[in-house]
Amino acid sequence: MADRDWPGSAKSLKGVILDMCGVLYDSGEGDGVAIRGSVEAVKKLKASDLQLRFCTNETQASRETFVAKLGRLGFDISVSEVFSPAPTAVTVLKDRGLRPHLLVYDGLLSEFDSVDKTNPNCVVIGDAAEKFTYQNLNEAFRVLIGLENPVLFSLGQGRYYKETDGLKLDVGVYMKALEYACDLKAEVIGKPSPMFFQSVLTDMGLQPHEALMIGDDLVNDVGGAQHCGMKGVQVRTGKYRPSDERHPTVSADGTVDNLAQAVDMLLSQRGL
Amino acid sequence: MPVDCNRMAGRRALKAVLIDLSGTLHVEDAAVPGAQDALNRLRQASVAVKFVTNTTKESKRILLERLQRLNFDLQEKEIFTSLSAARTLLEQKQHRPLLLVEDSAREDFTGIDTSEPNAVVIGLAPDQFNYQTLNKAFRMILDGAPLIAIHKARYYKRNDGLALGPGPFVSGLEYATDCKATVVGKPEKTFFIQALSDLGCCPSEAVMIGDDARDDVGGAQNAGMLGILVRTGKYREGDENKINPPPYLTCASFPEAVEHILKNLL
Repeated sequence: MADRDWPGSAKSLKGVILDMCGVLYDSGEGDGVAIRGSVEAVKKLKASDLQLRFCTNETQASRETFVAKLGRLGFDISVSEVFSPAPTAVTVLKDRGLRPHLLVYDGLLSEFDSVDKTNPNCVVIGDAAEKFTYQNLNEAFRVLIGLENPVLFSLGQGRYYKETDGLKLDVGVYMKALEYACDLKAEVIGKPSPMFFQSVLTDMGLQPHEALMIGDDLVNDVGGAQHCGMKGVQVRTGKYRPSDERHPTVSADGTVDNLAQAVDMLLSQRGL
Repeated sequence: MPVDCNRMAGRRALKAVLIDLSGTLHVEDAAVPGAQDALNRLRQASVAVKFVTNTTKESKRILLERLQRLNFDLQEKEIFTSLSAARTLLEQKQHRPLLLVEDSAREDFTGIDTSEPNAVVIGLAPDQFNYQTLNKAFRMILDGAPLIAIHKARYYKRNDGLALGPGPFVSGLEYATDCKATVVGKPEKTFFIQALSDLGCCPSEAVMIGDDARDDVGGAQNAGMLGILVRTGKYREGDENKINPPPYLTCASFPEAVEHILKNLL
């Protein structure tokens, strides 16, 4: 399908937001594998006059752990440039005076160290994997059902993801379970929530039309970004499928082979 | 004797009373005060009585033993559970189920082939609702196995507080697989029709007494019965306002419901 306005609009851009898994690297055994050309592409972006941030729905590890892994793959990225649901959740909790009962993977707990967790008045769930036991879910349920104004935050809303030993249920499934049990709607923190994208834009000091999102997930990365007024470009790496280019509701502003190609097109449009 | 319910105009005299168990006649191992006598008075009034329950953790035998220990007068054949309804469905469709049900409930599936399962049956099974087993069920459904829910109760009352029912897990799997479960228990209309089928009466000649506004009263009324909501068990303040139409009657407990029936519906 024809690219819409991309990369012609590249000149007016002031910032780029990159998805991580599927754009920078592919996950697999151990640290995974860097996608060809991505390390160089990130270096080029950093050398340019464009602002740069990274955006992920990863919730099994803290940003520090995650960023260290990317460092081992050759990427020069710092924690302050990475936006993942947990820190956003912390900001939201503090802004609204909420104290969470957490049902998250152990590796994520450190992200919530600065948050008051006594006498919880809300629940936060992340991709807790094998910690999604009946007992743990029941505890979370009891906190919610006992509140006059129950609030449930879900770090992402994915249905499932792929791992080496098969498909596994993602956080969205357990979000739906608690929504049904308590007859409430969860607030999703992370892609594709507009609030999540907005927090990145605020950090960059940019208006939506001044930013471009590059990702492999047509609906959550590209669609989510477009919904906020940004441009969204899809890469043909990661979870991309050819049928994405015929999607009934989301049309990417551009579709490129990989991050390296996207960055080259972007920078050459800007005369660099 | 088959009854042509469509030929009935308006409401006839009461012929049957369906009674919920957990939360209505008893809460865990304590009978609701006065319930045993109330049941006896009801029996003397010559209406048919059936005990209907979505309880999925226990076989009919276990339910019967508990009720008899609490001095309730009833027989096993008067008990109709959502497990009974599930078994009927499995037999009709010749499915081989992966049974996510407590060991104590498996009795009611004796004789059903469970080798190389091609269907997923979800009851109330806290021990089975772990990540690994749910992933297994999830992958089977993605591969085409039908998802059968014994019921979709949101939660139930235990001695130590409220606890998640099977509903949340069924909803989660429906979302994961983009499939709809077949629900066999309350509040499905077919459950109530099946429960009345061997009593030879129509829904318009029957009343349901229960503590769950949506599943007991709402479901029964949707099937054409009258519904009486009791304020015991899992009842919470304001539940009567959560269904439309509202309950025919909301009262304190089972004995008061029986009094009303004896005075007004016979």
